[in-house]
Amino acid sequence: MFVGNSMVKKVVTANRDTSIVEVREKLALHKIRHLPVVSKDNRLVGMVTDRDIRSAMPSELAEGCELDEKALSHLKIKDFMTSDVVTISTMDTIQDALLQFQQKKVGALPVIDEKGILQGIISVRDLLQSFINVLGIGEPGVLLGIVVEEKVGQLKKIVDAITEENVSLGSILVSRYWEEDKRAVFPYLLTNNPARIKKKLERLGYSLINPMDWCLDHNAP
Amino acid sequence: MPKTGFLYDERYLLHITSSYHPEVPDRLKAIYKGIKDAGLLPNLKLIQACKADMRWIEMMHQKYYIQRFKQMCDAGVAQMDTPDCQMCAETFEIALLAVGGILDVGRMVMEGEIDNAFCAVRPPGHHAEHDRAMGFCYFANVAILAKYLQTEWGIEKVGIIDFDVHHGNGTQNMFNDDPSVFYYSVHEHPSFAFPGTGRELEKGVGAGQGTTRNFPVLPGQGDKEYLKIMQEDWGPAFEKFNPDIIIVSTGFDAHEDDDMSGINLTTQGFSQIMKLIVQMADSLTDGKLISILEGGYALKRLPELAKNHVEILMKKD
Repeated sequence: MFVGNSMVKKVVTANRDTSIVEVREKLALHKIRHLPVVSKDNRLVGMVTDRDIRSAMPSELAEGCELDEKALSHLKIKDFMTSDVVTISTMDTIQDALLQFQQKKVGALPVIDEKGILQGIISVRDLLQSFINVLGIGEPGVLLGIVVEEKVGQLKKIVDAITEENVSLGSILVSRYWEEDKRAVFPYLLTNNPARIKKKLERLGYSLINPMDWCLDHNAP
Repeated sequence: MPKTGFLYDERYLLHITSSYHPEVPDRLKAIYKGIKDAGLLPNLKLIQACKADMRWIEMMHQKYYIQRFKQMCDAGVAQMDTPDCQMCAETFEIALLAVGGILDVGRMVMEGEIDNAFCAVRPPGHHAEHDRAMGFCYFANVAILAKYLQTEWGIEKVGIIDFDVHHGNGTQNMFNDDPSVFYYSVHEHPSFAFPGTGRELEKGVGAGQGTTRNFPVLPGQGDKEYLKIMQEDWGPAFEKFNPDIIIVSTGFDAHEDDDMSGINLTTQGFSQIMKLIVQMADSLTDGKLISILEGGYALKRLPELAKNHVEILMKKD
């Protein structure tokens, strides 16, 4: 769950004096959108994004036209980089990273150690892989949606019912539900045979949520 | 009236899963009963199973996997690779009979002895992967037939339409990079149904890009949506591909009374889909069409669904 395990460690970087033309080429070559700017000792000093490039260049150049590039080569990163960079540490967790992405509205976070030395970079895209794994996508299975009352022991009953049918769980998600004091539980069953489990859960008094009403985040249907 | 073959063999009942498993011998009994009680048997070419030559199976499956499957059955192991794939000592032999029967049907179609056929086989095949059993399936019946028709009979282009409610991951993966086999699947959306694959973005790779097409359907959409897809998307796609033969992965599990899914197709909906497929075969493949059973678990509905399916192949109405 630590950022250090999910980040990209081989980071493409630039320095303060890299020209805007070179930055544009680096972003295109490596198919990236964020470029940390570092000092000689790899200390993070700023960040440049493809959006910064687009804003700093005449539109023709941003699109790669050969418009007097020499005239722009004097334009250096230090002139348009963000110096006040939102960062994260290797020992922060991916939950921390998620909240940072949401609150600071950035698409990538440079990862630094306690001395400010760049260790890696983590983007929204890197976390997507973690969530593909968490959701169990990629393993054959089927998802159920169940409403439970918000009290201790509900999940155990559900897991027990599934286990008794000799079915393994790929994942289990619990999310907010639109009714007060209730939760939605989404077990991902590694089986092609969910019918018996569905019936069993209904016998135990649980309501299955209509798949068209499944939702991981909203307040009302 | 076309000559229609019907592959059925009582030995297919000898693959035993367990009392609570949905893929049970009673499925085939129900299908056979539906066809027999409707009085269709005298007008069908009845085909018995025969064992497949191992070389055809080895074209689509890893040798080690085949050996492993045989050894597990010989040793009386009751499941393979996943708790879904339950089996008995006879399962390996029965799976060989399923493939063998299907390949024999392929030969009969190519020799002109029959025009089309329904193969009521067990175990099903479209989830079976190159090297593992999955979703009640062991050998990739449809994929092996496609390869056999190409290799033995020089068929160039095979069109597969899979309307089982689950995506046929195995068939798709086996021809993912092969432009000579078009795999088209319409199924319940993978976020709501096994096996979790078959999204629209899966379109084939390399030379096979474009000859895999998936049409996931959201729960509860029923006949209207399926027919719209078949008419407006599948039809033009197959016309463009212009196959030399059509193979159908026939699953009856999208039915509204089948508790394996939430698509809610009606009995009439199944008939309309099959009519479109038969019409397509008439216009593109001179009627050459082989339908192979995959899923379908509503025992009370299977007799009628199978009867209708075969009547459409026979063009009885």
